[in-house]
Amino acid sequence: MDNIFKFAAGIFATLGFAWLAFVVGAKMQYGDLSPQAERLEEDGSRPVDAELYPKALSGLAQQGGEDYQALGCMTCHTQQVRMIEAGFDVERGWGKRPSVPRDYVMQKNVLLGNTRVGPDLANLGMREYSDEWLHQHLFEPQSLVAESLCPPSPFLYDVSNEAKEGSIEIPATDEEEPRFVSPSLRARGIVSYLQSLQQNYELPEMSFIQVENEVEELVVAKPADGNASSAGVPDWLAKQISSGKEIYMKAAPGGGLCFTCHQPTGLGLPGQFPPLAGSDWVLGDKERLIKISINGLMGEIEVNGVKYNNVMAPPGIPPGSLTDSQIADVLTYIRNEWGNSASAVSASEVAAVRAATKDRGAMQMWTAAELSSSSQPAP
Amino acid sequence: MKESPEQVIDRSAKLVVSFFVASAGLWLLAAALLAYIAAAKLTDPFFLSGIEYLTYGKVKIAQANAFVYGWGGNSIFAATLWIIARLSQAEVRGRIYLLFAGTLWNLGITAGLLGILDGKMNAHELLEMPTEVWPVLFIGYSIIAFLALVIHRSREHSTTIAPQWFILSSLLWFPALFLIAWNGLELNPARGTVQSVLSMWFGQSLIWLWLTPMALGAAYYMIPAIMGIVVDKYYLAIFGFWCIAALAPWSVLNHLVGGPVPMWIPAIGTVMSIAMIFPIAVASTNFHATAFKDVGKVWNSLPLRFVIFGTLSYTLSSYIGVIFSLPAVAKLTQFSIINEFHFNQRVYGFFSMIIFGVVYHMLPKITGREIGTGPKTFHFWTSALGVMMLLLAYLIGGLTHGVLAQQPSLDWASSVISSVQPYFLITKIAFVILGFSQLVFVVNVWKVIFPNPLACCLDGSPESKEKSA
Repeated sequence: MDNIFKFAAGIFATLGFAWLAFVVGAKMQYGDLSPQAERLEEDGSRPVDAELYPKALSGLAQQGGEDYQALGCMTCHTQQVRMIEAGFDVERGWGKRPSVPRDYVMQKNVLLGNTRVGPDLANLGMREYSDEWLHQHLFEPQSLVAESLCPPSPFLYDVSNEAKEGSIEIPATDEEEPRFVSPSLRARGIVSYLQSLQQNYELPEMSFIQVENEVEELVVAKPADGNASSAGVPDWLAKQISSGKEIYMKAAPGGGLCFTCHQPTGLGLPGQFPPLAGSDWVLGDKERLIKISINGLMGEIEVNGVKYNNVMAPPGIPPGSLTDSQIADVLTYIRNEWGNSASAVSASEVAAVRAATKDRGAMQMWTAAELSSSSQPAP
Repeated sequence: MKESPEQVIDRSAKLVVSFFVASAGLWLLAAALLAYIAAAKLTDPFFLSGIEYLTYGKVKIAQANAFVYGWGGNSIFAATLWIIARLSQAEVRGRIYLLFAGTLWNLGITAGLLGILDGKMNAHELLEMPTEVWPVLFIGYSIIAFLALVIHRSREHSTTIAPQWFILSSLLWFPALFLIAWNGLELNPARGTVQSVLSMWFGQSLIWLWLTPMALGAAYYMIPAIMGIVVDKYYLAIFGFWCIAALAPWSVLNHLVGGPVPMWIPAIGTVMSIAMIFPIAVASTNFHATAFKDVGKVWNSLPLRFVIFGTLSYTLSSYIGVIFSLPAVAKLTQFSIINEFHFNQRVYGFFSMIIFGVVYHMLPKITGREIGTGPKTFHFWTSALGVMMLLLAYLIGGLTHGVLAQQPSLDWASSVISSVQPYFLITKIAFVILGFSQLVFVVNVWKVIFPNPLACCLDGSPESKEKSA
């Protein structure tokens, strides 16, 4: 105690132990934690061609992240959804599942935050705000949420009294005329960053289903509504969509192999395979879609005004092997992904169509002309 | 008349201690102004909203840094140098280097705060000042710490006592903590949420291992020195010291509970926070058992009144901290403005109050000039009132915030935050009171350090100022 060197050694040792445990220990436990597929094969290997999450941010979003930090947004906004037993974040609609360490491995600066004067933003991108809404909120939060304490950031915008290309209208108030604001590059970066904040994928260590089961066990009220359009969808629909996505992406027996032609983005390939995102065929009549999914399609087809001429074998591995509920799930998925929004397809609807077309040969594909004429009188 | 050894020591410390106290006072005012702006922005979001340099986030963070590094750092240097010199019965040496290092420190913080306001902040707790200023701060700090150790090494008696342990450990822990955090966050940035673990560990440990031991050491020095009696149950002090050394660095991560980090990290934090009741009990027994032997003396000596306010506040806040680390309570208050309660309780109600007492005790001895009783008393009562108002607002507001946030059916802005807003108004008023209080403190201090500002400006050099005094 009286020898300063021994004393210093002692107090550095106590500090060092804690550092070893928390920092070195945590680092060792994380190991080479890196992006991963949503689900692993049964033997623990990563499926071939699986999409890996979390994804890196686009350049613009990264720029926006820097500005988010420079403006000090993390003083009031956390970016973490707590475990079910630790708080009511999932119930509040702030995420579909708790955040896990892997969600943050692609971020240069991790902004977990420790105070919530504003809402958590870990999944802001999932709440389906439009870019315009976010810009208006950045410019003047109180014009959208009257009680908000979030400070306006007019310095990110050019304000004028008349509409310009790309400008956003701030509605008139008692005191002021309507204003039109044009976002600066920085504002666009921040909005792009905010939209990119979404833990909307599952990971082997944390799935949505698990969460739903746990949430059901706890007694909770409905998610907050108010001004936020919450990301919450009914359980059955979420299950159908996630199962459909699995079938869409699966390249093994029992899967649909859809993504090889229509692509994981749902955009197809120009000139060869038509897009599903925004497609009039996908969002239109269900019966046609079910028929194509059972027997396949060949010949010329016009999708969103563009002509394609190719062959679509009956989906599934082996072809035509998808069950009624699998077809229902995958159709529900493509009708509700990539910005699509249409009613779900149920297994009984598929069964009805299958029964009505049962005399059609297994490999006898439909043509677009046939479907267009036959679907008109259909129920 | 021959000078007593104490007077020789005080004279050797006069210049540097005055420099650090005077700068600490200016930072205190800067922090008070920033605190007011931040509080006003929470009550009226449109307040100064057009100025990009003054967004709420920047001001809030600049305020914490000005408070901890500007006021805290400078006042720690002043109190450390003087108390160590007095306890070692050795003169302060290397004064030119100390002044140089102090200038580096203050310039570094100035640049750092301007950097934060200019949008160059890092996102790590209490490490937000831009990367470039840290080497400057570190060099400045190292020079001061080295020279303080030199004084300690030239001490008359080899036996050391409690105030020395606490003050020296505070002196040594800061650079160690800093190097760990600097390495793990800037030089070899950790991946993913290890960053958050390290950043929170640094930010919280800084309060626990830099500000806290300093203030405890000062209290261990001040109470017996002013009361003229020995510390009651002094044999417990060594146990208390090593308990803090061994437990505090483990006890700070309970705020991460439920977050995206390995679960054992917050769990250890919770257990160790509860274990902290031992060192807290030791320190408060030592302080209060001694002080309550002669309450009249405590009441009549203003420096001691400040110190005892601080130690009572330490005891109370630490026990409240233990309660808030229990999982059932932590679940409610995590992410609420109760965090502000903890920060202000520790940095203001405890650390700053004790430092005020040290300054009022030390300055008259060093400069030979008394500070008027009226202004000092005004400072004490306004500070006490302001702090209590601030802390009650954050405590009750934080509980409201936390409990309402746990009701998923309540809309965030219109129900949860609206219910907390009245408390923000109270904190704004409290910051106004504290601002006035601090202004009085700074005027008190500057009047003693620069009794005749004109004379000082006329014949310039610090040496001549010292001679004329």
